[in-house]
Amino acid sequence: MSTTETERAVEQRATGNSFSVDVWITLKRWLRKTRRNPFVIFGALITPILLLVLFSQLFGQITGDALRGVMGTDVSYVTYLTPAVVILMAMEAAGNSGIGLVDDMENGMFEKVLASPTHRGAIFLGKALSDMVLIIVQTVMTLGLGYVVLWLDSGGSVGTYIQTRLLGVLGIIAIVIVFSLAFTAFSNIAALVTQDSESTTVLVNLLPYPLVFMSNAFLPISVLPEWMQAVATVNPVTYGVGAARALLFGQDVLTVLNVTAFSGIWNTIVPAVVVLGVLDLVLVGIAVALLRRVSSSQAS
Amino acid sequence: MSGVNPEGTRILPQRDGDARSQQRMQRLSERSHCTTGSERNGGTVIMSTQTTETSNVSATSITAKNVELTYSDGTQAVRGIDLEISEGEFFGFLGPNGAGKTTAIKTFVTLLQPTAGSVTVNGFDVVDDPRAVRTSIGYMAQETSVDEELTARENIRFACETYGVPRSERASRIDDLLALVDLADVADKQAQEFSGGMKKRLDVATALVHEPALVFLDEPTTGLDPRARNRLWEHFQEINQQGTTVFLTTQYLEEADELCDRLSVIQDGKLVATDSPDALKSQVGGDILEITLADPTDEQRAHAREAVRESGLFEGDTIEFTNEGIAIASEHARRDGTDLLFALREAGFTVTGFDVHSPTLDDVFLAITGETASDETPNEQQPDDPVQPEVNR
Repeated sequence: MSTTETERAVEQRATGNSFSVDVWITLKRWLRKTRRNPFVIFGALITPILLLVLFSQLFGQITGDALRGVMGTDVSYVTYLTPAVVILMAMEAAGNSGIGLVDDMENGMFEKVLASPTHRGAIFLGKALSDMVLIIVQTVMTLGLGYVVLWLDSGGSVGTYIQTRLLGVLGIIAIVIVFSLAFTAFSNIAALVTQDSESTTVLVNLLPYPLVFMSNAFLPISVLPEWMQAVATVNPVTYGVGAARALLFGQDVLTVLNVTAFSGIWNTIVPAVVVLGVLDLVLVGIAVALLRRVSSSQAS
Repeated sequence: MSGVNPEGTRILPQRDGDARSQQRMQRLSERSHCTTGSERNGGTVIMSTQTTETSNVSATSITAKNVELTYSDGTQAVRGIDLEISEGEFFGFLGPNGAGKTTAIKTFVTLLQPTAGSVTVNGFDVVDDPRAVRTSIGYMAQETSVDEELTARENIRFACETYGVPRSERASRIDDLLALVDLADVADKQAQEFSGGMKKRLDVATALVHEPALVFLDEPTTGLDPRARNRLWEHFQEINQQGTTVFLTTQYLEEADELCDRLSVIQDGKLVATDSPDALKSQVGGDILEITLADPTDEQRAHAREAVRESGLFEGDTIEFTNEGIAIASEHARRDGTDLLFALREAGFTVTGFDVHSPTLDDVFLAITGETASDETPNEQQPDDPVQPEVNR
């Protein structure tokens, strides 16, 4: 090649970035877009308030006996409900991840970034991290709102709301992340398979509600119709809500698997994390394989 | 490149601007050389000897050797492209929809791997060292690619970060680019509020943040109104004059003619001719005489061709059928045109239109490939008027 030294130096003035800087740049762009999206802000604030107030008013009066049966003592329905709302919000946010990806594909930004020196892995890691940031913020907000509603309802103290205190909050965040990974992967798979934002939107909005209703989210599984109990046993929402609820109440709440090998709440958390972790591995594996395919330069 | 300093004078690129402009002058003189040469070559790539000689002095920007790209469904989008583009050149791919322009450009910018052959861009192999290629080029895709939720400034800043433009240079670079593409006054508006032309200009700016030695523009003006397109042309000419090599694809014949130092006519994934626009035009063999008949049936057009042959005015010149009548390419079209009109009237034809013009690239397309550039508009002749008709899409 006849390119001279000086010209080569000029060409290489912009050298791209390290992997971690690429992740940071990608993360920043997605967080900025999330902040700009009025529906995200609206959804993240209004939806949990609506769900907490409406469901607790609707079911709060009639669930007392059922809850006492499962939990052993009198518990507030608001507290029982909050982990369900946390998980439902996480599913909604995770669903948006794929919509963001397919939007990026449709408006050309995806290819633009592929043609830039950005590391391939950083493109996806940065985006996944931005999804997780949103989910963590939502989780903390929903937990806070849950307490506000509980306080308005019965004036309960924080100690009765979260038995496990700060460690419990961190634990719930961790559970929500493990849970959301699977749904983030699912929505990205939907996006990559359909390559169409409308279809993706339909798919990711279709899934959360039936899954939440056919689980331990709103009512103890024992009061569900038998066929729903069967669904609830294999429903990841049951494990996500179960683990978060165990942390909130400080006791073993998982009834679908009778694990007694550990002590107390760990009899819920360990099996839940194992189930959700396996689901994560499978779905994230599929999503990564599909992402590799669309971002490779092999003609297809 | 690309910037106005506070005194209002253009900042030259950091590389050796003088050497570049000399190279450019050299190329321009070669170009005029070619035009007089009127090389004809039966459909294969024409490479003027002058260009070959200078390629030792001027560095090569893109070298493509027998590049093929076949999609997994068996579509052969690119079938054996050979190409050598010098630094500082403004080079174009001209061809209709589906000719393989975008596929070719995507292999050059590392978005697609060639299934055969090799491509070197700025000295880096696109397969072995894609990241080095990516840092050294700017790429503007055919579809406008901006993040509509970000402002113009944020879009350019994101591109600066992506390409690793040093932090200390970013602010001034962003301002320079906003000025270059005339978006300084709307810098802090979200791109979703922009018109198509503004988004395109923003897209151009983001492709230039790292002062790339080479910029790829894939149909940069498709779908724009003439005014927006002319403004973009000025920007492209400006960055080229500042030393950036530009590789452009277009279906607009006039765009290639206006901008390109050299161009390749591409059809069915093959380059059917490569030369300067003027040299290609000279292949047509003179000016174009178009005759519109009142009743342009096949029969009438065949008769008219007979009448032209019998008149003896255009012996050995090509006569083509057009939608409206016939077209003759001839060195003496202007001189003998009126005589032919007279002869046609004698032969009993009603001539309702008559036009002599210099060959356009559409005529070139017709002469080289036997087809017009666009299937939708058969025999569409380009008027010499600077406004490109939108029908070519």
